[in-house]
Amino acid sequence: MAAAERDVFAYPYDQHDFDNGLRLIIAHFFEHMMFHGTPEVPPERYEDGLQETGASSNAYTDDDRTVYHTTITKEDFERILAMEADRFRNLEYPLEAFQTEALAVLGEYNKDSAEPVNKLMEVLRDTAFDRHTYKHTTMGFLRDIEAMPRMYDYSRTFFDRFYRPEYTTLVVVGDVDPGQVRAQVERHWGGWQRGSYVCRVPAEPQQEGARHAHIPWETHTLPYLMVAHRSTAYSDAATDCAVLDLISYLGFSENSPLYERLVIEEQTVDLLWASNADHVDPYLFTVLARVKEDSDVPAVQQAILETLAGFAGQPVEAGRLEDVKSHLRYRFALGLNHSEAIASTLAHYVSLRRTPETVNRLYRLYETVTPEDVMRAARTFFTESGRTIVTLAEASK
Amino acid sequence: MNVIARPDSSPLVTIRLVWRTGAVQDPPGKGGAAWMTAMMLASGGSRELSFKQILDLFFPMGVSVACQIDKEMIAFSAEVHRDHFMPFYDVFRGMLLDPGWREDDFERLIDDAVNFLEVGLRGQNDEELAKEVLYQEIFSGHPYRRHNAGSVESLRRLCIGDLRQFYSEQFTGESLTVGIAGGFPPGFDKLLLSDFRTLPQRVAPTQAVPPVRDLAENELILVEKPARGVAISLGFPISVRRGHPDFPALMLAASALGQHRMSSGRLFTRMRQLRGLNYGDYAYLEYFPGGMFTLEPAQNMARQCEIFQLWIRPVEREQAHFALRLALHELERLVLDGLSTEEFERTRSFLSKYVNLLLRTKVDELGYAIDSAYYGIPPYPEYVRAGMSALTLESVNAAIRRHLRSDRLAIVMVGEGLAELREDILANRPSPMTYNSPKPDEILEEDMLVQRREIPMRVACAKLLPASEVFALEP
Repeated sequence: MAAAERDVFAYPYDQHDFDNGLRLIIAHFFEHMMFHGTPEVPPERYEDGLQETGASSNAYTDDDRTVYHTTITKEDFERILAMEADRFRNLEYPLEAFQTEALAVLGEYNKDSAEPVNKLMEVLRDTAFDRHTYKHTTMGFLRDIEAMPRMYDYSRTFFDRFYRPEYTTLVVVGDVDPGQVRAQVERHWGGWQRGSYVCRVPAEPQQEGARHAHIPWETHTLPYLMVAHRSTAYSDAATDCAVLDLISYLGFSENSPLYERLVIEEQTVDLLWASNADHVDPYLFTVLARVKEDSDVPAVQQAILETLAGFAGQPVEAGRLEDVKSHLRYRFALGLNHSEAIASTLAHYVSLRRTPETVNRLYRLYETVTPEDVMRAARTFFTESGRTIVTLAEASK
Repeated sequence: MNVIARPDSSPLVTIRLVWRTGAVQDPPGKGGAAWMTAMMLASGGSRELSFKQILDLFFPMGVSVACQIDKEMIAFSAEVHRDHFMPFYDVFRGMLLDPGWREDDFERLIDDAVNFLEVGLRGQNDEELAKEVLYQEIFSGHPYRRHNAGSVESLRRLCIGDLRQFYSEQFTGESLTVGIAGGFPPGFDKLLLSDFRTLPQRVAPTQAVPPVRDLAENELILVEKPARGVAISLGFPISVRRGHPDFPALMLAASALGQHRMSSGRLFTRMRQLRGLNYGDYAYLEYFPGGMFTLEPAQNMARQCEIFQLWIRPVEREQAHFALRLALHELERLVLDGLSTEEFERTRSFLSKYVNLLLRTKVDELGYAIDSAYYGIPPYPEYVRAGMSALTLESVNAAIRRHLRSDRLAIVMVGEGLAELREDILANRPSPMTYNSPKPDEILEEDMLVQRREIPMRVACAKLLPASEVFALEP
């Protein structure tokens, strides 16, 4: 196999303004617009460039980042690097292309809409958050997507504010000479000017009581249950975030006692996971269960809440904690099995701390977590006042 | 039994075992036997260790065993850090050579398979549902007619005895290829050989796979269910597969028409980019399940029979008729006019280089090597590069005319309000297109043609069925 390289542009902040009651959910939409060309390289020529180099190229937007990723053979690296530098600085698109692309985003929403977990996430965030942009998914609410064709002017402001070097990190992985890559980056990106915009995402006030929502679902489904608690921001220095990561595995992974009981023995649940997804600002610790019978949902909810309370009540067995640490360490290493995977992993972390060194700090932090840390974090975060529960069930039942 | 060993100094070890058997060997009335047998091996425990004990042993290693069941191949694979390789292998060997066949695992995995069909596919993934119904329709009456997981009816009828019988008949040493790569211990490949020699060393009884009957006319299957959009898949049987002299030419043609999840193809450009009809539109020469979840094709789904197909991602219900007409229009343009010199050169350059990116991991390398052996072709990147370099524009356009067409298609649409759409298609009603922004004259003129494009369809060939009937009964 020829050495693959990948350039990833991590763009650390998704940003949204509030205007006339509509949220300008633009970061993800804007990712689409980035494929619409520049005066120098119109969209057809950009496509031709990718084609001629055999590039595998795509992009995604998450809550705190937009990542553009391209994998190419190394002889074509500089050509792609120059094309990327051009579009990050000189993007131009007409109103008509913007309005047409808004329909493709609607198409994306439509194709995702058959999957209940997407709706669960949308309603969970809307219920759990009041002020922060985490209130909506990166895709956004349907009413906001339908309003997108009117946001052309704001899209230009957005580009001017955020597609700037202070918000961008370039990751290159593969069989390359770092000195040569630095010189190439300097050549094509060196003249890029910093901007002046400072992004201030509204802080989320403290949650003052448990919240609930239910989603009646039109097509055949098993019932879903999502139990979330306000969590903490990503940190490679303070232990709380690392501890909550470990609890998500201790409590709800395939080798957890709850999984053994609900999935393997009682067989009342066929899907169980928990996540303390890394975020720049405090987000949610979420447990999801898919239950086989509607009548079992209350008992499963009770079992999840008891599991969370159990961490606050008694220390976990040290051996189990070590197993989770080992799992995370080896799973991480196993995930780094090709250039794209390495670049993708780094893009995640550099968007949080802008240095790959944060990975080492985080994994060192995992090693220091004790059973007492687990108890303390569980008492702090798994409170009723910070809880949001969302259920989804077939409407006709 | 074949062994493909690719030792190197990597700290990771990759193992991939592929049996040349699959859903096509399900006995009559026992659809899902192959699927369930493989699932019992991968997620049901060995005789020595329960599933829970295996999960506990694998967990600190960060390891899981992946299992993939297709018509003619069943693959198990895992990637392990060399720190754990031998303890992992001890467990893995037991899972595959000495399965536990426990009743409670069986019940759990039957539930999973039924929910996969009823909830996952029928309920929650309209695009994959359209693709799988397309296969079921085209392969009606053929050994490929069933979904790989069988039907809800046949799954509920299976018992452990059926799976034990499938295992003992089909999981033979003769039908096994073992791939091992990375930093495995010296001599491990010999241990592997001796362990798996304990399988019966005979050729498994096989049901022959005849060529599929071709379609005589257009067929339409409309699957009704509540949905925001209409998912569309359409296609026809094709005799060209890897190793066929026209495979590289059609690979190039399919890529130019709609390379999977890339924005370069004609369908993507004309349907999404210029008209905003949906999220994407692609063309395929080989089975490609789960396209919404992955950018690259899976390996070890080698098949004797393939179809050529278009995947039109969900469109608004009001634009479904127009979108279908436009997809057929593009297909027809390709067949009648062929590719341009620029398209040909660009796509050839793309595929010659892109093929290098497909073999990124050891799992991929082993998978492609096993598939190349199945098709009797050189290593895949060499095969594609050599094939591309031998092509000319004329040879590609001639292959397109020989094998592709825009009539005698099976068309599957999944969505809401399809009874009316059926009437619209049968009556060939115009489907005018409106936009939220001004469009160039070229597009508007083409729309005038497309909106009246006839799709010949006999009433008897246009079926409408509720989603609840799909994969319910053994076909």
